[in-house]
Amino acid sequence: MSTHTYKKFEEADSGILPDKMTIYQDCLNAFNESPVNAKRCRLLISRLLQLLAQGQTFPRTEATALFFAISKLFQHPNDSLRQAVYLAIKELSAVSDDVLMATSSIMKDVQNGSDMIKPNAIRSLTRVLDESTAFSAERLFKSAVVSKHPSISSAALVSSYHLLPVAESTVKRYANETQEAVSDLKTYPYQSGTSEHYPNSTYIAQYHALGLLYLLRKHDKVALMKLVQQFSAGNLLKNQLAQVQLVKLVGSLLQKDPQLVTQFTPLLLSWLSNKYESVQLEDAKLITSLPDRFVSPEIFASAVQTLQGLLTVPRVTTRFAAVRVLNRISMVAPEKIVVCNPELESLINDSNRNVSTYAITSLLKTGTSNNIASLIKTITNFIHEISDDFKIIIIDAVRTMALKFPEEWKSILNFLINVLKQGEGGFEFKNSIVEALFDLVQFVPQSRELAFENLCDFIEDCEYNEILVRILHILGKEGPSMKIPSLYVRHIYNRVVLENSIVRSAAVVALSKFALVKNDPTLVESIEILLRRISNDADDEVRDRATISLEFIESIKSKEGASSSAAEDLLQSKYSYDLVSLESKLSQYMSAKQESFKAPFDSSSVHRYTEDERKAIDLKRKQEQLFSALPSAGKSKRAASSSQDAEKRNGSYAGPASNEVDQDLQSTKFVEELESIEELKSLGPIINTSKEVPLTETEAEFVVSGVKHLFKNHVVLQFHITNTLTDVALDNVSVGCTMEQEDSTALQETSTIPVDRIMPSETFACYVVYEKSEEVVTEGFLNTLYFTTRELDATTHEPFAGDEGFQDEYEIDSLFLTAGDYIKGSFVGNFSACFDELPHSEVAVYNIKENISLQEVVDKLVVNTSCLTLDNTQFAPTDSNSHTLKLFGKSVLNGARVALVVRMIKSSKGIALKGEIRSDDANLCNDVVDGLI
Amino acid sequence: MGNFFSSMFDRLWGVNREMRILILGLDGAGKTTILYRLQIGEVVTTKPTIGFNVETLVYKNLKLNVWDLGGQTSIRPYWRCYYSNTAAVIFVVDSTDRDRMPTAAHELHLMLREDELQDAALLVFANKQDQPAALSASEVSRELNLVELKDRSWSIVASSATNGDGISEGLDWLIDVVREEQM
Repeated sequence: MSTHTYKKFEEADSGILPDKMTIYQDCLNAFNESPVNAKRCRLLISRLLQLLAQGQTFPRTEATALFFAISKLFQHPNDSLRQAVYLAIKELSAVSDDVLMATSSIMKDVQNGSDMIKPNAIRSLTRVLDESTAFSAERLFKSAVVSKHPSISSAALVSSYHLLPVAESTVKRYANETQEAVSDLKTYPYQSGTSEHYPNSTYIAQYHALGLLYLLRKHDKVALMKLVQQFSAGNLLKNQLAQVQLVKLVGSLLQKDPQLVTQFTPLLLSWLSNKYESVQLEDAKLITSLPDRFVSPEIFASAVQTLQGLLTVPRVTTRFAAVRVLNRISMVAPEKIVVCNPELESLINDSNRNVSTYAITSLLKTGTSNNIASLIKTITNFIHEISDDFKIIIIDAVRTMALKFPEEWKSILNFLINVLKQGEGGFEFKNSIVEALFDLVQFVPQSRELAFENLCDFIEDCEYNEILVRILHILGKEGPSMKIPSLYVRHIYNRVVLENSIVRSAAVVALSKFALVKNDPTLVESIEILLRRISNDADDEVRDRATISLEFIESIKSKEGASSSAAEDLLQSKYSYDLVSLESKLSQYMSAKQESFKAPFDSSSVHRYTEDERKAIDLKRKQEQLFSALPSAGKSKRAASSSQDAEKRNGSYAGPASNEVDQDLQSTKFVEELESIEELKSLGPIINTSKEVPLTETEAEFVVSGVKHLFKNHVVLQFHITNTLTDVALDNVSVGCTMEQEDSTALQETSTIPVDRIMPSETFACYVVYEKSEEVVTEGFLNTLYFTTRELDATTHEPFAGDEGFQDEYEIDSLFLTAGDYIKGSFVGNFSACFDELPHSEVAVYNIKENISLQEVVDKLVVNTSCLTLDNTQFAPTDSNSHTLKLFGKSVLNGARVALVVRMIKSSKGIALKGEIRSDDANLCNDVVDGLI
Repeated sequence: MGNFFSSMFDRLWGVNREMRILILGLDGAGKTTILYRLQIGEVVTTKPTIGFNVETLVYKNLKLNVWDLGGQTSIRPYWRCYYSNTAAVIFVVDSTDRDRMPTAAHELHLMLREDELQDAALLVFANKQDQPAALSASEVSRELNLVELKDRSWSIVASSATNGDGISEGLDWLIDVVREEQM
């Protein structure tokens, strides 16, 4: 090699990346030399690692060549070089072929190498092993795990995490050694005299071992319980992370079975006063995220107390973590953390803005209608001092508050308008304010006038096109129905005169909607004049929109009747499409073969929402956002496991709400499924589809869930059957349904559609079809699963040829067709007015003897009636024994409205319910009363 | 200046010169056992080598870098990655494994055709002579077609890695040849 390149090497600190190909060539040359120059090779490897760390990669062939060259360095016994070699092998293992060639050499080092290189050797060994070679390394791992040297033990334990997906059985075989490693306190083998120069052992191996043990036993509840028992006793765990890990382990146990809380209570309490802040935090986090009824108020209070104490510690991270947990509690149960308010208030001025922002949002949540005004004042002073990102968080908090306290709209509106009009702030910030205002306008109708007035002011001087367009849109949508529509016309027309073409075209559309105002002919005339003027605009788009709007207005005026209503619809649509299913339909249409383009796209099959339905969905989604901010056990589990399964376990906690988008997608999926079945095609379009109800335990051999589909004259029960057995196939699977009222004539079973075969871990659906009259029919179905089991040949995974199989049956839970299946949740702005105006009314009183919480009753009611909760009544207060639930919905058959007010009181004897139901339809009224609980 | 002289002497006595030697052969022939018999003089229990083992040992004032490459079918293709700068090849044959003699012969001749090994000396160990059914050295030589080799110093020695017979005789021959050729 030339001196020139060598010099380049010496400039190690220059920070300039060395040339990739130079390094490659130098590596190949230097590593193949004999004898090896250890120092130079080490330097070269470090350069190579630097390249790889910066994200540079080598093509596979070059990486492989590098790997083989590096493997030649095993001939040199220098420990430092060997460490470098291991690092390089670890990095290259991802991009190079044939890394297994280093296996034997690495194994030799793990066995006989010096303590210095052993940890590195173990780490790179995991990278070169595969399923077939892993077992030969088992003994090495075993002895490394029990090694007295903490670094070696840790390396082996952590490497085992990586080995687990590759060769689980191998790792399982040294579970006992791993357990030993938890209780074994390993220290560095240095003389005590020199210890000040060396790190004292942190016992980190305990943490690593505990983590690995958990991975190995996470499906075995009893084993985990034993682990907790064993390691929580005495002062066994010295490492703080290990202790945190143990808390988490208890957390995962409680998540699966909240009944265990009582058993763990002493432990949970003792952790609250642990000497480590992190353990206290983790414990408090765990306690506060458990389902309410399993946690005694005392424990919860002491957890909050611990958090309160942590708010004033000097360490910022601790403060942050504590305030974050409190913030989470504030979303669901703000009354429980009111005690922390003084500390939270002092945190508003915390030098760390993350902490102060969380403090403020928590305060906003704990605020009651009494102190909102003063809180808003505090924020107004504060908001100018922080960056946009935090402002947005605060605006979001204010926005949710607006939904929670609709009666406080005035001060909230004032605050929003103030910050909106103050000049500073970027687009995202302004947009979030406008978003908040839109919510306010949509769900608190009283605020509309004032809000629109101010929005009109704002658009006179707004620099962001996007926001302008949005405001113009909402003015056009809501303006015509306001008291004095002409007020807004001037502001909108100003935009046409002053703004660019994008804003102009939006303004034209908004203007044209004012032509639909019924009782003001002069206004309609003026609009026409304005639009005519605009149709000379310089921009194509603006002209086009003005012309077509004029055309529509003409046709409305000239002809009364069908075509005019079509034109009206085009100007101001009363429906909007379900975007999710529209998208899937359209992409289906686009991806179909050429011939399908001959027929135009049929939009009638896409579900359409009326304005009220759209609002109902929006509100529901917004209410759920309160939850989505919750990183709680329930929510994350929900995402992980199948939704229905999680719903069953955590239903009481996360509420009956499920993601609306999923729901939409699912119903679209059902429609497609049903349409693909010949027998069901003749039934016409689906009117309503219920949620999926589990009919067995999720641990059962056959997991069944049921869905009810309503058609005009039919009911179809769909059963999803999952075969969880591993060695048995199910043939001729069908579900037999018997009606509870056997003599009833309202329903006639017409056909069943069985499944031919369900192989292990497959899911199929079978159907039972009933003919029904057009009215609301309620019924309970007793269901039995009929099938023939056929044992499977383990080698071919086919049933044995001669096996006739056993006929068998399996009883599953009943499925109920209730009044709720005929109702869809709907939104109404003024609930009490609407309630009073409905003609038919029924009252029902129930007494629930079971010991369940008010929240569970609320959730059950929401599920049974499938109505939307209004006026923020979906959460039962945790500090009171009574609650009033307001529900609203519409019949899917005839659109009749249903409104319910349910009052409930919890006492020592149980829960007393009084439900008052009002509706347009007397029959529906009756049916809902009957099926309430 | 002192440096110059010392390196002169080193050249003369051969100390500090490293010599690369490869131990090759089919799986289970006894390569790893021979390597450690050479290095520590003992019989170690071995597992099939996945990859290679490399040891440095000093033999008669000569520093040897001995590479023992795994003999499994899957690993044989990688032998060639380690051919460069090789002074000598030790090819180990299991003398009891009559069935695979042709395979061994094939692998041997294939290897010797490589450019990088044209100057390498070849020592064949007819190993496992302690076993009753072992072929003799001359029989193995015939099976491997060694007489066909031209332009190469080669020798075949009957050996037993487990009791040490023949190992040092073979190596002595190899060292002599290599020393002669390289100096």
